[in-house]
Amino acid sequence: MASPSPILRQLGCFRSLLKPQPQSLLQTGLNRRALSTVYSAKPTPKPIPENLPEQFIRQLPLHLRPKDPKARRPIPPPPPSAFNKCKDPVGAVADAQLAVLDPTGERRALFDYRRSQRSVKPGDIVRVTFKNGDPFNGVCLSIRLRGLDTSFLLRNQLTKVGVEMAVKVYSPNVESVEIVQRAASRKRRARLFYMRNPKHDMGTVENIVTNYIRQKRMLSGKKRAPVKAKK
Amino acid sequence: MTPRLPGKLAQNSLPSIWGSRHIIRSQAPIRTFGIRSLNPPVNSRYNVGHGLPVLKSTPTAALERKANTLPLRTGAIATKKGMTAMYDTETGKRIPCTVLQLDRVEVVSHKTVQKHGYYAVQLGAGWRRPANLTKSLLGHFTSSGISPKRHVYEFRVKDESGLLAVGKMVNADWFQEGQYIDARSNSKGKGFAGVMKRHGFGGQDRSHGVSLTHRSLGSAGPSQGGGSRVYPGKKMAGNMGNEQNTVQNLKILKVDPENGIVVVNGSVSGPKGCVVRIQDAIKKPWPEDILSSLPSS
Repeated sequence: MASPSPILRQLGCFRSLLKPQPQSLLQTGLNRRALSTVYSAKPTPKPIPENLPEQFIRQLPLHLRPKDPKARRPIPPPPPSAFNKCKDPVGAVADAQLAVLDPTGERRALFDYRRSQRSVKPGDIVRVTFKNGDPFNGVCLSIRLRGLDTSFLLRNQLTKVGVEMAVKVYSPNVESVEIVQRAASRKRRARLFYMRNPKHDMGTVENIVTNYIRQKRMLSGKKRAPVKAKK
Repeated sequence: MTPRLPGKLAQNSLPSIWGSRHIIRSQAPIRTFGIRSLNPPVNSRYNVGHGLPVLKSTPTAALERKANTLPLRTGAIATKKGMTAMYDTETGKRIPCTVLQLDRVEVVSHKTVQKHGYYAVQLGAGWRRPANLTKSLLGHFTSSGISPKRHVYEFRVKDESGLLAVGKMVNADWFQEGQYIDARSNSKGKGFAGVMKRHGFGGQDRSHGVSLTHRSLGSAGPSQGGGSRVYPGKKMAGNMGNEQNTVQNLKILKVDPENGIVVVNGSVSGPKGCVVRIQDAIKKPWPEDILSSLPSS
C-alpha cells in the first residue's frame, strides 16, 4: 500500500497551522492542549435507590453500605461456669449416693482397713446376711477400696467345693456384715489369694460360724443372732 | 459491580425496576443493579405448577422424610466427666452410669428453611478467650450478644417451634429424670490398627508354615475371575477410633441443674473430657411434659 510520504503529512500539518485561529481560543491557551485533557468537574455520585433489595447491597462499596447496628458490639463477659462451681462431678454424684446408702458412715468404717482399727481385715471370718434371707460365710481374702464400688471377697467350702463371693459393701441388698472371728495374727499380705492353693486352703468355716451363732444366742437370750452392722 | 457503560447508555437505555420511579420523578440518573437478560424468559419444558407430586430427590422431599425422626427441640453440649455407679433403691441393682456436665450452653444462632434449607439450633458451650478467636467468629458471637464459645454445634429440630431463642441458656434441667436421650461423641482413638483389632479378623496360624504374617489379613480379593482388583471398601488395616459414634436410648438417671450435671445410664463413647452431644432419643416417644411446654421462637 502506498501511503502519503511523511514530508507531505508534515506539510499538511504546517498548512493547518498557518490557518487563521479564532481569537477566543488563543486567549485561553486551550489550543495547546489535546481534547482529552480538557478539565471537567468531578462527577457527582449517583444516588442509590432508596429501597435497594438486600442481595444488591454487597455490590456497593463498603463506605456506602448501610451500617449494621449489630457490628462492633462489646464482647459480653462469660457467664459463671459450672465447671468452676463443681470441679469433681463424678465425686459429687458418688457422695450423694453414699449419703443415701450409708448415712451413718458405719459401712465405710467397717471396711476402711487403712484408717479404722475395728474394721474387717483380710483373714477374718465374716458372715454376710442379704435382704432375701440367705447368708454367706467365709474368710475375707481381700478388700477392694474403690469408694462407692468398695467390695470384699469371701471364700468358703460348700460340699467340699471351694466357693468365692465378691460382695459390694454399699449394696442395699446387703443387710448386715458381722465379724465372726478375727485372724489369729496380722496377715503380711493385703490379698490372700495364696489361700486358694490346697496347701494353704482353710477349708470350710461353717463349724466356726455355727459355734459363733450359738454363743450369740446364749448371750442375748434371743432366738436369732443379732446383727452387728445393721443398715 | 455492573459494567460501566458510556454516558448515555447508563442513563436511560437499561430500564431498572427499582430506579425507574425515581428517574421519572427527579430526572436524575440512578444506578442500576443486578443482571437482566434482554431475551424474553423461556417457558419450562417440564410440568410446572401447583399440586404436582414432590420429587423424591428434592430438599423438600428430604425434609418430609425426616419429619418423624427429627427431634422437636434442641439438645445440649455436654462434657464427659467419668463413670460411677448408682444403686436402684427398690431392686438393689447396681447401675453403671456416666456423669456429664453442661458448661454455659447458650443458643448462638438459628438455621432456617428459608435461608439454609433446614431448621437447626446452633449451640455454643464453654468459653474461649476473645484474643484466640478470629474476627469473623468473634463478630458471630457478639452480634447475638453472647460471650465467645469454646465449642459450637448444631442440633437439628423439626420445625420453627423448636428454635429456642438466641441467647437462651440450656441447663441440665432441660432434661428430665427418666427420659431417654441419644449421646453422640467421638470414640477413643486407637491409632493405626491391624485388621485383627480393627475388624475382628481371625489372623493366621501360629505355625503350619506361616511365616511373618500371623496377624495380617489373608487374601484381599478374588483372582482373574473377580476382575483382578481389590474391591472398594475392602477391610484393611488403618486408623481406628476417633470417629463419631452415637449411643442411642440412654436413660437419664439424675439431673442436677445447680452444678449442670446430667447422669445417664451406661457408657458413652470417648475419653474423659470429650464433648458429648445429647438430644432427645429419636427411637422413644418424645417426653410428654416437654411437648406441652415447647418454647416459642
